[in-house]
This record gives sequence, structure tokens and C-alpha cells, in this order.
Amino acid sequence: MDKFKIFLIPFISVVFGILVLMLAVFAINSIPIFQREGLAIYTENVWIASETPEEERYGILAAIYGTLYTSLIAVLIVLPISIGFSIFVVDFVPERLKEAFIIPTDIMAGMPTILFGIWGIFLLAPFLSGIADFLYNTCSFIPLFSYYNPTGFSYLTAGVLLAIMVLPFASSLIREAYRAIPVVYREAAYSLGLTRFEVAKILLGYIKPAILAATLLAFGRAVGETVAVSLVIGNAFNINPSLFAPGYTISSLIANQFGNAFVYEYMPSALFSAGLALFAIGLVVNIVGLLVLRRWTYA
Amino acid sequence: MKGQVAMVIAVALACLFLGCMAQESGESKVGEVQKPVKIYGSGASFPAPQIENWIYEFSKANPNILIEYASKGSGAGINDFKQNLVHFACTDPPAKESEWREFQKLGNPIQFPFIVGAVVVVYNLPVEDLKLDGATIARIFMGEIEYWDDEAIRSLNPGANLPHEKIIVIHRSDSSGTTEIFTNYLSIVSEEFKKKVGAGKLVEWPVDKLGRGFGGKGNEGVSAMLKQTPYSIAYVELAYAIHEKLRTASIRNADGYFVRANAETIASAMAASSSFVPDPREGYREDPKMFLNAKGKDSYPIVAFSHVLLWESYPTKEEAEAIKKFWKWVLTEGEKHLVEGYVAVPDEIAKLSLKAVENIRGD
Amino acid sequence: MLRILKDYLFVVFVIASAAAAIIPLFHILFSVFYNGIPVLAKYGMEFLTDTLPPPNKAGGGIFPAIYGSLTMILLSSLLGIPLAVFAGVFIAEYPNNPLSRAARVVLMIMLEFPTILVGLFVMAIVVIPMGTFSAIAGAMALTIVMLPYVATYTEQAIRSVPRHYKEAGYALGLKKFRVVFSITLKMAKKGFMTGLLIGVAKVSGETAPLIFTAGNVWRSTGALNEPAGAIPLWIYYLVQQPYANYHEIAWGAAVVLLTIFLAIFLPGRLMVRS
Repeated sequence: MDKFKIFLIPFISVVFGILVLMLAVFAINSIPIFQREGLAIYTENVWIASETPEEERYGILAAIYGTLYTSLIAVLIVLPISIGFSIFVVDFVPERLKEAFIIPTDIMAGMPTILFGIWGIFLLAPFLSGIADFLYNTCSFIPLFSYYNPTGFSYLTAGVLLAIMVLPFASSLIREAYRAIPVVYREAAYSLGLTRFEVAKILLGYIKPAILAATLLAFGRAVGETVAVSLVIGNAFNINPSLFAPGYTISSLIANQFGNAFVYEYMPSALFSAGLALFAIGLVVNIVGLLVLRRWTYA
Repeated sequence: MKGQVAMVIAVALACLFLGCMAQESGESKVGEVQKPVKIYGSGASFPAPQIENWIYEFSKANPNILIEYASKGSGAGINDFKQNLVHFACTDPPAKESEWREFQKLGNPIQFPFIVGAVVVVYNLPVEDLKLDGATIARIFMGEIEYWDDEAIRSLNPGANLPHEKIIVIHRSDSSGTTEIFTNYLSIVSEEFKKKVGAGKLVEWPVDKLGRGFGGKGNEGVSAMLKQTPYSIAYVELAYAIHEKLRTASIRNADGYFVRANAETIASAMAASSSFVPDPREGYREDPKMFLNAKGKDSYPIVAFSHVLLWESYPTKEEAEAIKKFWKWVLTEGEKHLVEGYVAVPDEIAKLSLKAVENIRGD
Repeated sequence: MLRILKDYLFVVFVIASAAAAIIPLFHILFSVFYNGIPVLAKYGMEFLTDTLPPPNKAGGGIFPAIYGSLTMILLSSLLGIPLAVFAGVFIAEYPNNPLSRAARVVLMIMLEFPTILVGLFVMAIVVIPMGTFSAIAGAMALTIVMLPYVATYTEQAIRSVPRHYKEAGYALGLKKFRVVFSITLKMAKKGFMTGLLIGVAKVSGETAPLIFTAGNVWRSTGALNEPAGAIPLWIYYLVQQPYANYHEIAWGAAVVLLTIFLAIFLPGRLMVRS
């Protein structure tokens, strides 16, 4: 072991240490609520905070539902758009102009999320509220549209905002994969006289794993977003299939409630267990996504 | 080589800059002998506009005392006080005994009321003077009354042009003293509310599950949401309604008269109730429901104190002196700078509190 | 015939997707400038030097936020960059070490970690024992957020340096330490600087890690162990207030933040033009 390695090892250990410590802190602090309620913390929709510890009861089902629902909306919107956008940049745009389209998405990827938030609360929410109104008045027999909500703070607004925020990640992955397809395949397809549509269909089939990975990674990102979502989700302990209903996500629940958590005996523990759940969801989705990507890169 | 030198210089400059910033509070400006003392407080949004105004006026005469107040809700204030993260915390309802015992593990807390305010019911409707009574309000917030033109509301407001729209209920999403005051009142006037929802800083609003409930952060967030949501109803502290020009409802008081909240009706409620304020060292003995549903023709039914929590001793002399100076000023000069929507505490109570503030020391 | 129609619709779909992907960004950038610049014009230079005004009173500024942001960005860079660089170097230079393989996974996990949880973690281990919200706690949270970005960029940059340069260095008898820092990093400077700038740009805009660590101040600037404001935090709190002048200040702060972000991010990004 040369001296250089010895010198570097502490730094790499710190990296491990941070993650392990984070998990430990969350796990240890979640124990009280698990002892008290067991898994009911995740399966019930209830939030009774009381200064008498015996009366406290917490259940974050509404937040879990909201997190999954808004991320799902985001991914469903992002998937077709990122595929179309990737095809556009790779096939339709001349080489010199490609960067001009890629740089804006990179900017979006790194942009402070609070800017999405301020845009969302002042501009997107009122805009979608108008659309929601129209859809409610015309087709409220469809459960998706069956909610009356004039505020604009809803699963839909949060989902659209999340879609805009995770688009750069999904599209960069798909774009690179699409670009990396050997030219021979393209040439072969065109030489058979196929239209652009048919060529694209074939090439996309070739990179299906990348598309799947992009979807999962986008979902994982959407799950963890806090600030922008908490400004437009409505903050209600609600479980409702309609797009226009307000709700909660795990991250916005933590952001809203942690400030007053220590007043109550079990609330900090409940919120740490919510964080644990958030971490678990993100971890599972991301690992599956990375595995799919890894497998496919080696194939 | 040049790049490395540049990097080293940049890092050195950064350290220097940071070092200067760290010294910043110790550096004295030319002509000033004292370095600024910083006092941090957090808590209820109920009295926040008043506290902000007091800080503004106080700072004019005391430029070397910087006071920061973070309005985050009574619950967060008690949270911060318990974790010793702030010098003072404001809570609308007095601290409970269990909380008091927790504080005593860290030191000697004192608590006293410093302002009186009212919780009003605000609404976003093109209707001028909406009249409501306690039972109806309770039913609205429980979700039992769904439309604005419901029989119960119409009977209290004959002739008013009530639209056939669903009532959107805006409540607090955070742990709030305003909520506790409001739910205490509703529990007094409605047995059903007491059983179904109960009183507290953070309650489960049945309207949430019915899909008509929304949570706003702080009195500020609720006001903001009400302003941009037609057909909504909410509860906020009076000052917010006045400043943001929100329509407030007249509520039927214990004697049967419809009363709007203002300085006179608040004072009438106080006068009609026996206001027992315990020694600041036993603040938990206070009754949070003291002024609620007061008797008297002109009494507004939802009136309450807001309290401040302080420690009897602070780590440094400068902090203790600064805190004493500010709160003494509030209890003596404060009533000259009242924000519309608040009423000063009665003199006898102020005197008791003043004695407790005098005892604050720094070691 | 049908094939041509489908092809045509396809082209429409692709162009529409591209528009849908790009337009929101331009709309957001446009809105921030459109709503924010008039505020800067109205408040003047004081916007950058003054403190928060009382509600609905004219004037005021966001200086405590700018000061806090700069302090925490600088501090987290000082803490995080060396840490991340050394970690990245280790992974790149000893890629088959089990520590490296695990570290790569750890960094991937940290990249996607919800930043609010980072804030909670730092609150539990720093803020509560310290007994105060502080700029240091905020900076530590930002360091953890910045770490995976800088580390992975550093690793990739080092790995992209052709091997024969390193071999030439060893052939000359240089120690590993020398090779890495005098030769490899110099050659990988572009990728490394990109990672640096992107990491710093990212943390300049983070809000969630700061909510429970830095606290917030409206009127003062403090030492490192005292609460600090930050521009993203101010925007987050101000948009939830009902007062019109606070909304204005939020837009103005958004413009300032966007400008700072672009000033750091764009040079980094444009350096990577391949």
C-alpha cells in the first residue's frame, strides 16, 4: 500500500461514513414510532398530533400516495416528450445546432428548483386551474376530473411541474443512447425504403432498456423533489384519484411538519420514518434503473 | 504552475473573506462603541405583524440590538424553545404543564401575555356582511355544510345573495396557536365539534377527506390562499384580515348579538371575563379559554392572549440585557405602537410581567 | 399512403415534443426576468444592500440573503471540493479496489438522495447539539449535496486522460502523487472544472437542505455559528406570504439567483463543448 493510497483512504471513508451515518440516524430515530404503531405508520391516513403522547397517532398513507401519484403523472408526461425530443435532436437537427438544443435542457437540470416553485405557484397553478375548471365542468363523470378545486393546487399541477423538472434527466439518457446506435442500423433501415417514422420505431426498439432506465431514474428524481412541489400540492391529508385534488407528498409533509415536530412526543420519529420510506422508494427505483442500464450497456 | 499559484491565492483570499465575515460581528464601526447584539425569536404567526412593527420601532432607538423573529407557528416556536435554538418564543395558547416540565430540564422558563388579538372568520365571496354563529361555523369546518346557499347560512343571512357553490375550507397545515384558539371556541359552542375534531394546535379537519380542505402555512399562507381562492372560508388573526382587506364575518356572541372584531369588541370580551394570569414562573396554569365566548352585548367571541416564553437566565450579559431592554420596552412603550387588530394587555398584568422581566440575568 | 400520413404525424409529434421540452424553460427564464427586473429597477441598488422591509412598506432589499448564500457557498466549497476531489481521485486511480466499487454505488445513491433528508440529517447531528441554527450547519448540508457531483466528474475526468501520459510520468520516476496532481489533473482540467462549477452552481440554488439547518434571518448578517439567510430560502418563505411587496421582492431575488446560477453554470457547461 503506497503512501498515496493511505493518504486518500480517509477521504473515501468519509464518503461512506456520511451515507451510513445518514441511514443510521434515520433508522434509529424511526424506532419509537415503529414500536408504537408498527407498520400502521405507512398504511393509515391519519395525523393526530396531541400534546398528550397517548393520543398521538400518525399514518402517512396520504403522503405516500401523493408521492407515487405525482411522480407517476410526471413520468407519463415526460416519457413521450423525451423520446420525441431525443429523436428531434439526433435525427432532425443539423450537427452544428445540436448543442443549442442540449444546453437549455442541461440548464434546466441544474437550475435552482425554487425558481420552478415560484413559477409554479404564481403562473402554472392559475393556468392549470383554468384548465381544471373547464374539464370539471365538461367531463366530471370521469373520475380523473371529478374534483372541484378552484385553487390550482393539485396533484396535476405538482405532476406537471415535476415533469418539467425531470425531463432533462430522462431525455439526456435517451438521447445519448439513441445517438449511440451504430450508423449501420440507420443506413440499413433507410436503404430498405422505410419512412422516418418506421426507422425510428425500429431504432427505439433497440434502446428499450435505456428508455426503461430513463423512466425509472426520472421517477426516482421526481419522488425526492421537495420545495417546488410543496408550494403547489395543496397540503391536504387526502387520498383521491382525481387529478385536480390537493394532496401531500412525503417530502412536503416533512418540510411542513418538521418545524414543529419536537413539540410532540412521537412526531419526530414519525417524520424520520417518512424520510426512511422516501429513501427506500427512491433507492429501489434508482437501483432497478441502474441495473437495467448496466445490464444493457454490457449486452 | 501558474494555475496552481492562482488556486492557492484564490483559496487564501476565500479564507480571508470568511475570516473577516466571522469577525464581522466583532468589528466595531467607526464611532460606535458597542458591537450589535443579536436576539433570535420564533413562534406564532398570530402576533407576528405586531412584533415586526415593535422590532421596527425599537430598532430606531436601539440600533445596536438586532432582533430576528421567525413567524412559523406556535408549535414551531415551542419546538425551538425546547431545543434551545432561540432566545424567546411566542405561543398563542399558554404552554401546557407537560411542556413546562420539559423546559425546566433546560432552565427556568417564564411566560407572560404580551398582546391581545382576535381570531376572525374570513371569506372570499361578493357578499358584504356575512353573519354566522358558532354552531354553523363548526358545521362548515366539519364539512357538514357543503354549499354557500345552505339553509343554515341562508337563515342567518336573509336577503344575502349566496351563490350555489361549494365551500372551500382553508385551514392551517402547521402546528398553530391560532388553530388552538379557534378549535377551543368551536369545541365550546358545538359538542359535536368537540367530539369529532377536538381542540389543538394541529387537528384533523374532516373537510380534508371530503376533498374541500386546503392547508396554508402560517396566518400568512392562509391569507394568501384565501385571497386567490373564490368561495373559500378560513380563520386568521384580525390584523391579517385588516391589512389584506379580507372580508370578515360577524359572529353571534354568547348574548346573541352579531359582533365584528375590533378594538372595542375585544376590550368588551376582556372586561367581561375573569382574567386570571398566574405568576410568569408558572405560566402553564393559565386557562387558554379565558376570553372565549365572553358575555356582554358587545363582546367578540374569539379573543385570546398571545404569550412569550423567555428564560430567567441567559449565557451572556449582553444577551440578557438586550432581551430585558426589548421586552421592558414592549410592556411599557409597546402600546404606543399598536398595529390595528391588536389590543394591549391590561396594566396590572403588564406590571406583573415587568417584574419577571426585571429578574432576567446573564451569566 | 397511410405510411406517408403516419410519417407526417410522426414529424409533427417530434417537433411538438421538442417544443414542449424547450418552451417551459424559456417561459420560466422569461417570467423570472420579466417579473424580476422591474423590481430591481424600482428598488435600485438598495435591493442588494438593504434588509427586508416591513410588510407593505416601500423599499428594502435582500442583502442578508445574498450574504448568507455567498458565505455558505464558499464554506461548502472549501469543505466539499477537496473532499470530493480526493475521493474522485481514489476511485479513478484504484478502480478495482472494493472500496472504489462500493464508493461508486454510494455516490450514485447520494446523487439522487432527496435533499430534504440531508437537511434533516444535519439538523439532527449538528444543529441540535450546537443549540442554534447556523451558517456552518447549512454549509455542511450543502457539502453533502455537492459531494457526489464533484466526485463523479473528477473521476470521469481523470479516467478520460489517455494512459500513456501517466505511463510517461511513471517512466520518469515520478511518484503516484506527483503523477496525479501534476500531470493527470492538469490534463483533465476541463472536465474537473466543469464538475466544480456544476457542483457549486447546484448548491447555490438548493433550498431544502437549508430549511432546518441555516435557520433564517431577515435583518442581520451573522458569524458562521449564527443563523443565516439564503436567497432560495427567502424566495421560498416570501412566496407564501400574502403581502404584495414581499412577492415583488421574491421575484427580484429570483432574478438575482438566476443570474448568479447562470454566471457559474454556463461557463462550466460551455467548457464541455466537444
